[in-house]
Amino acid sequence: MQALDCAIIGAGPAGMTAAIELSKGGAKVAVLDRGTRAGGQIYRAAAASPLPNTSALGPDYQAGAELIAAFERTDLTHFASSDAWHLGDDGRVLFSHLGETHELHCREMLLCPGAMERPMPIPGWTLPGVMTAGAAQVMLKSDATVAEGAVFAGSGPLLYLIVAQYLRLGVPVTALVDTTPRQNYLNAAPLLPRALRQAGQLKKGIALLREIRSAGIPQYRFAENLEVLGQNKAKGLRFTSGGQIREIAAETIFLHHGVQPNLNMTRAMDLAHRWNPQQLCWQVETDAFGQTSIQHISAAGDGAGIIGADGARIAGRLAALNILHRLGRLSEADRNRQATPGIAKLAAMAPFRAFIDRLYHPANALRLPQNPDTLVCRCEEQTLADLREGFNQGARDPNALKSLTRCGMGPCQGRQCGHMVTGLLSQWRAEPTEAVGYYRLRSPQRLLTLDELSRFQAVPAPTHAEAAE
Amino acid sequence: MFRSLRSDGAPKVTLTINGQEVTAAAGQSVWSAMALTGQSVTRRAALSGENRSAYCAMGVCFECMVIIDGLPNQQACLHRVAEGMTVTTQNITQDCEAENAGP
Repeated sequence: MQALDCAIIGAGPAGMTAAIELSKGGAKVAVLDRGTRAGGQIYRAAAASPLPNTSALGPDYQAGAELIAAFERTDLTHFASSDAWHLGDDGRVLFSHLGETHELHCREMLLCPGAMERPMPIPGWTLPGVMTAGAAQVMLKSDATVAEGAVFAGSGPLLYLIVAQYLRLGVPVTALVDTTPRQNYLNAAPLLPRALRQAGQLKKGIALLREIRSAGIPQYRFAENLEVLGQNKAKGLRFTSGGQIREIAAETIFLHHGVQPNLNMTRAMDLAHRWNPQQLCWQVETDAFGQTSIQHISAAGDGAGIIGADGARIAGRLAALNILHRLGRLSEADRNRQATPGIAKLAAMAPFRAFIDRLYHPANALRLPQNPDTLVCRCEEQTLADLREGFNQGARDPNALKSLTRCGMGPCQGRQCGHMVTGLLSQWRAEPTEAVGYYRLRSPQRLLTLDELSRFQAVPAPTHAEAAE
Repeated sequence: MFRSLRSDGAPKVTLTINGQEVTAAAGQSVWSAMALTGQSVTRRAALSGENRSAYCAMGVCFECMVIIDGLPNQQACLHRVAEGMTVTTQNITQDCEAENAGP
């Protein structure tokens, strides 16, 4: 089987931009993505929206359609509806497509797994009707499905964006319960002057908050002690705000307090990771070009550290330039020259990101479960008390705790509980997060049927390069 | 209460969700079709048997696992509706016994 020059996993802003750049440089590229169309989460269905009018989603979303169009015009192989379940440091990629496993080989690999929402383990968070703000976005973009009368609770730009989008579309919103701690405003203030250099971004954010305020929906600030009410399904949200305990009835509660890299791909490859104390999450270690601890494996976009869609495009291009250099298609001098504006742009964006990170730094009480009965591991139904018991029995690190309690062993493979387990063990051990570490993950990274596994004989994936020969 | 803002005349498919015949826009996610018909319980938790439903809608929480055309552990948010599809809430708990699938 002929090896491709580069396989890109993920067709969001980073993956698409990198693919375009690599193709332009003459590399043979394949892009694997789970979606039926390219776009990732942020530009989901931007190329073919089921909504009558996408203007309510904002110009950033509409700009995504242009990138998707440019990507689809590019001469490359795009494996849509394809779920990579094994990535080897030998360049072997196994992916599932319509129930069959296919295989390809590549010289360079670029991982663009994107972001997922930071779990919010408040009491009742597993009840039907409790979803993430990102889920509201996905339903809106992909399926034009909205929840009427929902309560939105949490903190951060994505939460405010979806509330504004709902209001623009005339979807009734019951309340916005803002959990941004008072202290965060004070902590973030010193970073404001530097963030002002990106005045456009700041204005956009302020306009969004003003839009929500002028809509006149009930808003509660500095909310704490959140708890979802209900036995078999969500019936409402209880919280304290302004020194009062409040209860708001709602069938749907959308939670959000920031995003974190979708770790499983980079972790399963055993790449070096570091803890990001500003963003309170693990991220894969890379150099300025996205090159990881394994030279021929690069990572770009939010999956390599949260930088947002605009940052992801730049990071994708930088990774592509470096890969072209590694493939011998671009001299080091040319790589550096072409990379200079992008590196400068990323550096210019950093102060605003730092400001946002500090302003919307999630409260520990929402990031880590507080109630002994709250589930930490949703799949294997392990509560905070269960994990503490495991710790008391001697499970000091995430893998020991996993072996003892099955926490992190279910179908989500730690995607939800992983960061919480690291955080809890760090607290209990009174040691830094880096000392605690993370789950050791392995292939397969997706659920596979026994049928697919038993018939497992990898089918060589057809690439346009081979087809053309 | 979930509602669709879809106004296009997208082609429709008919599927069955927990015995109820449902019409949905082609290309729609199974999860969204369930939500729009008010059948939002996707599975029962394997130990406690508690009701669960989609949490992330983007494939990372695995809460929306349903049985599609007899095949369990299918993420409703990642699957698209199809003509004649049968979807059922996944009621597989620790007390269930495996059925012999035959030779």
